[in-house]
Amino acid sequence: MQFESLHLMQTTHQCSGCLSRRHCLQIITTAAAGLAFSGEFFPALARSRKADPAFVDPTKLRPCPKVRVDAAILQQPRPYWLGWPGKTYQLDQRQKEYRSQLAGSCKRLGIELHEEAKPIEDDASMAAFLKGVQEHKPDGVLVILQHMNCWNWVNRLAKEAGVPLIVCSPIGTSFTGHVASLSRQPGVYVVSSLEWPPVEDGLRMIKAKRMFEETRLLWIQGSKGNETILDRLGTKVRAIPRNMFNELFDTMPVNEEVKDVAASFRKHAKRVVEPTWQDSLNSARVYTTAKRLMTDEQANAISMDCLGMVSAKLVPTPPCGAWTLFQDMGITCGCEADLFGAISLMLTSYLLDRPGYMNDPVAETAKNLLIASHCVSATRLNGFSQKPAPYILRSHSESALGVSVQVLWPAGAPVSLIRFQNTNELIIDTGTVVSNVDTPPAGGCRTSVEIKMDNIEDCRDVLGFHQVVTLGTHRRIVESFCQLYGIKVIHSPEHRREA
Amino acid sequence: MRELRQQSGARDSEWRQFRAGWRGGWLGMLAVLFAIHLPAEVTFTSPGLPATHMDDRGRLVEDWGAITVGVAGAELPTTAPTTLQGLKLDGLIPAAQAQSRYGTVEITLIAFRAPVWPGGLDVLTIRLAETGGQETPVKLSLTLPEDAQVGLKTVTLGGRAVLGLPTGTKASQIMREWGWADDAVALPGWAKPSVDCDPAFQNIRAGLGGVPILYHFKVDPKARVKAVLGFCESFWAQAGQRPVICQVEGAPTQEVDPLDRWGQHRPGAVLFEASDENGDGTLDVCVLPKPGAPDQNPILNAIWLFPAKATPNLEQVIAGKLNSNALRYVAVGGSNDQSQYAGGRLEYALKLPANGTQELMFLVACAGSSVPAPDNMAWTSEKLRQAAAAVWRDWR
Repeated sequence: MQFESLHLMQTTHQCSGCLSRRHCLQIITTAAAGLAFSGEFFPALARSRKADPAFVDPTKLRPCPKVRVDAAILQQPRPYWLGWPGKTYQLDQRQKEYRSQLAGSCKRLGIELHEEAKPIEDDASMAAFLKGVQEHKPDGVLVILQHMNCWNWVNRLAKEAGVPLIVCSPIGTSFTGHVASLSRQPGVYVVSSLEWPPVEDGLRMIKAKRMFEETRLLWIQGSKGNETILDRLGTKVRAIPRNMFNELFDTMPVNEEVKDVAASFRKHAKRVVEPTWQDSLNSARVYTTAKRLMTDEQANAISMDCLGMVSAKLVPTPPCGAWTLFQDMGITCGCEADLFGAISLMLTSYLLDRPGYMNDPVAETAKNLLIASHCVSATRLNGFSQKPAPYILRSHSESALGVSVQVLWPAGAPVSLIRFQNTNELIIDTGTVVSNVDTPPAGGCRTSVEIKMDNIEDCRDVLGFHQVVTLGTHRRIVESFCQLYGIKVIHSPEHRREA
Repeated sequence: MRELRQQSGARDSEWRQFRAGWRGGWLGMLAVLFAIHLPAEVTFTSPGLPATHMDDRGRLVEDWGAITVGVAGAELPTTAPTTLQGLKLDGLIPAAQAQSRYGTVEITLIAFRAPVWPGGLDVLTIRLAETGGQETPVKLSLTLPEDAQVGLKTVTLGGRAVLGLPTGTKASQIMREWGWADDAVALPGWAKPSVDCDPAFQNIRAGLGGVPILYHFKVDPKARVKAVLGFCESFWAQAGQRPVICQVEGAPTQEVDPLDRWGQHRPGAVLFEASDENGDGTLDVCVLPKPGAPDQNPILNAIWLFPAKATPNLEQVIAGKLNSNALRYVAVGGSNDQSQYAGGRLEYALKLPANGTQELMFLVACAGSSVPAPDNMAWTSEKLRQAAAAVWRDWR
């Protein structure tokens, strides 16, 4: 229904012969008003062409790994008498609740849960559990403490399990002394709280790591092909010659899917400034080209030398618009063949279920703000299943070609800036969106977001390049993910650096 | 990651096949067959990467040089013929295998390419098996290019890390009287001293990734000396960024922040009343990152050792006017710097249990790659092989 109407819109409004361009855009805007921010657009892209045998379902591109977590409740022999959590602690009820929450989290996240049927309450049971973990090598282990005297077992698991360990210590099962050291140890994530969501975050970390491992990233640049694997994250990097992309692009037809995508993208825009209908068709062909290439190469993500391709005039449009579509579906497509930029985008996608925005950092020295500027920003800033932010269709500013987007980020919203320097180090800082910068009067890239940085005295000192900005404050979960997998965390300097 | 294993049973089918072959007693027959069928070299690689080869002497030949592996021991023959063949590990991964028998000791080398980003790494596994039924001490040797510099965990050649050494083992190669024994990196010309000073202040060795800088100097047991360490910080302009901890044997530990003491581009020196405190005939000098400091890469520019009775004026030391008075003068990272280990050869003293085996795994730089710092990687032998299999499985 929706796509049929969009298709009609596209055939009626080529914007070359009908009415004035402004009038045309008004019609599109009015007609799309009810749908523009309904949250239905991008899932519909996935649905629209399934009957066509040549159609590539983009939802299949996101990695869907098998994830196994072994879990156990740790308790002491009953009845409890003195010692925390105390005789009044409702053991059966609490354990029932925790089992239910754990099962719910695993179901939501698609994790295969192997849970000990009975609580572990002696050394022999713990040894058997540990042996099982060592044999089966699950992707992670989760234990729920139900007595303060169980910490020696936790310490043993941390030392001998050989897989990431999540420790849920409800209030009443630990003192600071129990968690102070262990909770900072690589390979371990400790939650000392009555809150369950942080425990689910731990499961999310394990799943995210498996998604990294399951991902094959197409590194489209240069003239040679090979395949290597990233240390620590396990992501496969398949390098393919750059011309494979533009040669495939040249063969991609303007079919119904292309027209639908082009029309929908225009329809949901707050405004369309430079791009012509032909630009939109070309941008949609980049989208179908990338889908086809990822499918042919059994890949799940792309990082491409887009600027080199545009500079050599190999394609009529940069991929910016198409990359926005993928980013909104949780499929990483990154700019400029920046491998670790793409890996940073993956982290927000896999761990936080929301897109990131890789950008060039600019110092706004008059206001002491950081400006994050680039021509690819996703629109579903709050999450892949959430409503998109408003966007304006623009050209790629450096080349004045094709379709790019200016996404209007919400002023006042907190953001996190994330950047893998390599697989061993990650920069994370936080800030708040101040405003969106228009081009013109500014130069640079189409999406341009002013950010007031937290805990950084001088905006010039923000570390990194092509950092990935994502909506929300995610410092704790990202730092915990890094600790779980042995990645060093770096922050920009708090105090002004001397010349 | 690269572990030394002791085990009595063979793990993989290729090992079992190999041992069964030898036990068959058909040595002469096999020798004839091998002479007819054995290739002169076996190449292997990973998809899209340049190939490496193993030659008919069992040497692993890389773009930086070759590794020759040998075994020596009492009552063992000094030479042994090598048989070379190509394998497919796990039915997928191209590999080269070289086998020799030194009396009761069998040695098998297997090398394959692990697709480690960005340029791959060769994985060389050396397995020694005792077949005579009695514990046998052997000396395993790896002959490398003469100018190879052996560190604690890696071997470098012209600044490139070309070999990662097995953890849990200690090479027993020839030691020089002094030199570095770490995995820090020489950076000649890194520092820009702003005043006239000894040329040593232009160079550094840097412990990238938090690696300690470690020097050993041979001295008389329990000897006392005056040690001077020289620093010149040319990257940071603000104090507090890169303070380092100096541990000179026999002297109190000192924290040194060159910027705080002398400023950017300003050479400075610190005196230590040192001694061979443990009486092992070696003076240890170590510079470590200060825990929690923003920059965890320690640096060091120069070392002087003076007689215990000397009273070196530090300004004159900095100016280079007392070099001739020093027992040792080291332009760290400069022209007279050296590894403590003599280049060209690594030796491991091993004790093979009766009918048992020992296995050592080395990471080897191939064309276009260098070995990552061992403390900064998560690769294990199992993961390297899984990675190779995964890439070959999907490659078209």
